[in-house]
Amino acid sequence: MLYFRGCVVRDKLPHVGDATLKILDKAHIDYHVLEDEGCCGSFLLRTGFKDDALEVMKRNLGDLKDDMIVVSCAGCFNTLKNDYKELLGVELDVIHTSQLFRDLIKDGVLKPDKTSLTVCYHDPCHLGRHCGEYQAPRDVLDKITTLVEMENIKENSNCCGAGGGVKSAYPEIADKLASKRLKDFEGTDADLMVTSCSFCLLNLDNAFEQVNNKKDKDRKVKDLSEILLISLKDGN
Amino acid sequence: MKANINEKEIQAMNKSFRILNERRRKLLGNPQTEELKKRVKKIREYSINHLNDLKEKALKKLEDNGMEVIYASDADEALKAIYAIVKDEKNVAKSKSNTASEIGISDLFKEKGIKLIETDLGDRIVQFTVKKKSSHPIGPAAHLDMGEIAGLLSKEFNRPVKEDPQEILNLVRQDVLEEIERCNIGITGANSLAAEDGSLVMVHNEGNISLVSMLDTHIIIVGIDKLVRTIEEAISVVKLETIYATGKKVPAYMNVISSPSKTADIEQILLNGMYGASRVVVVILDNGRSKALKSYPESLLCIGCGSCIVTCPIYSILGYDFGYNRHLGGRGVVFSRYLKNEQICYKSGLFTCTLCGQCTLDCPLEIRTNHFIQDLRCESINKGLYKDKHRKTAQKIKDKGSPFS
Repeated sequence: MLYFRGCVVRDKLPHVGDATLKILDKAHIDYHVLEDEGCCGSFLLRTGFKDDALEVMKRNLGDLKDDMIVVSCAGCFNTLKNDYKELLGVELDVIHTSQLFRDLIKDGVLKPDKTSLTVCYHDPCHLGRHCGEYQAPRDVLDKITTLVEMENIKENSNCCGAGGGVKSAYPEIADKLASKRLKDFEGTDADLMVTSCSFCLLNLDNAFEQVNNKKDKDRKVKDLSEILLISLKDGN
Repeated sequence: MKANINEKEIQAMNKSFRILNERRRKLLGNPQTEELKKRVKKIREYSINHLNDLKEKALKKLEDNGMEVIYASDADEALKAIYAIVKDEKNVAKSKSNTASEIGISDLFKEKGIKLIETDLGDRIVQFTVKKKSSHPIGPAAHLDMGEIAGLLSKEFNRPVKEDPQEILNLVRQDVLEEIERCNIGITGANSLAAEDGSLVMVHNEGNISLVSMLDTHIIIVGIDKLVRTIEEAISVVKLETIYATGKKVPAYMNVISSPSKTADIEQILLNGMYGASRVVVVILDNGRSKALKSYPESLLCIGCGSCIVTCPIYSILGYDFGYNRHLGGRGVVFSRYLKNEQICYKSGLFTCTLCGQCTLDCPLEIRTNHFIQDLRCESINKGLYKDKHRKTAQKIKDKGSPFS
């Protein structure tokens, strides 16, 4: 199995990659990562650089097409699952970490403990509205935490504000939308906000830092893998 | 980015939208609405697949019914035709029409020194603002709170106006009624145009369209995207529009206009203008719609309910600055490409959309605006219209495989 980390995990959120690798180890999955992993093409496609995107995507094909792929980022997932099919006619065997985790728990490969954490879950646009996956991450969280819901979830999930190139070209809009989403989180009893998209995570984390003036130590927005790893700490 | 909307307006608008959304939620998703949605989707799909045929039928049938028909391929042609009718008037009444606003009717009247009396309460209030910006196709003053409105009216009428909704209504009502007395011509839009019947359907809650359409001459401006086959289809369309736009099942009024006011009560001699308009002129407008039909026919499915902007995250931050003129939000951005050109589309916010897809989910016709925006971005880049940040990031990705390297 190929673990495709995605650019945000590689360069900005290595702890998400580390947590995911540890989980894959615990599940005794035979995986590999690409030393020279490139861009999935998502940013280029969303911002209109389609020709560049196609070039990058074709370059990736050799590494991707004959393997089972697991990805952390909802943006990579949507791109590998839908855009490669639509634009290159290639149906990749790709699964999102939330789906893999759910399956591993269901099959008894992973036996996580229920933690004392109360969390809420932010649906990334790319995984939810664009791929229709709302349940897998919730199934995982239901097993390992007390899951409470924010306002505006699933199909009506508020966008974090980062997508479509908005975070790079209009950071002030991305910040405002992330702050709004944090208000939804603050309206719950949750200790943490969990998501399953590294791009959402980065943006929400940045907004949280700005609002609360806090650095890494008190991060309130986490990737699903980080929470699952906590629940797997003892034994398994 | 040039921001016209201010924070106070954004807050008032988001508050209005929250109330509207709460009201709508009760109706959306119920079996009757779902069934109506399916029916309207079929109606609209047939329409855009047979648009030329319907257009020809409408041109003929409207004329057969005794109305004058002008086909305007762009805004200029429409304005010229309208001016030819109103040129000797001092005052002309109007009901809120997004199509009339699209062609810039207010600017023409201002330039020619003809007073245009807007009769829709929300739109009239908007006309009193400096920016004259509408924030929702059905509720144009959604971004103005009561204090703001009272202030505008105090200034306009040169007397103190209390922050009391009833007092505001009474004041505008009385003023509009007095103004209408001086008008011979009324201008309205239409929500749907039934080609085979040669009929136009208009919905309103205030009763203003009834007033305006009863003047001696009634000018109706309607885009070719409003074409359907029959009155029955038109009613289905406007019913669904009402549900999504206002959260109410039916509007207070649905007017169906198929000819000038007429009578044949004296020896079957046909006479026009008994009580209503003796002359009805229908201006059928293309203005880029045929171009849109060639590239993104799906964008013409729109029934103008404004549902897409109510839950749009970007609209909640940028308000009417996201979109073009009265074509608000992401769909407005797409439409501006065909109403105007690539530059206007770029300026309307082509690159401010996060492509989150919420608008598609909340659209009764499920128009995939995020897909069109993504496609139009490619075209825009090829024309040299892009964000520098994106260009630089794209280069990094190509060179080093990551936007962060």
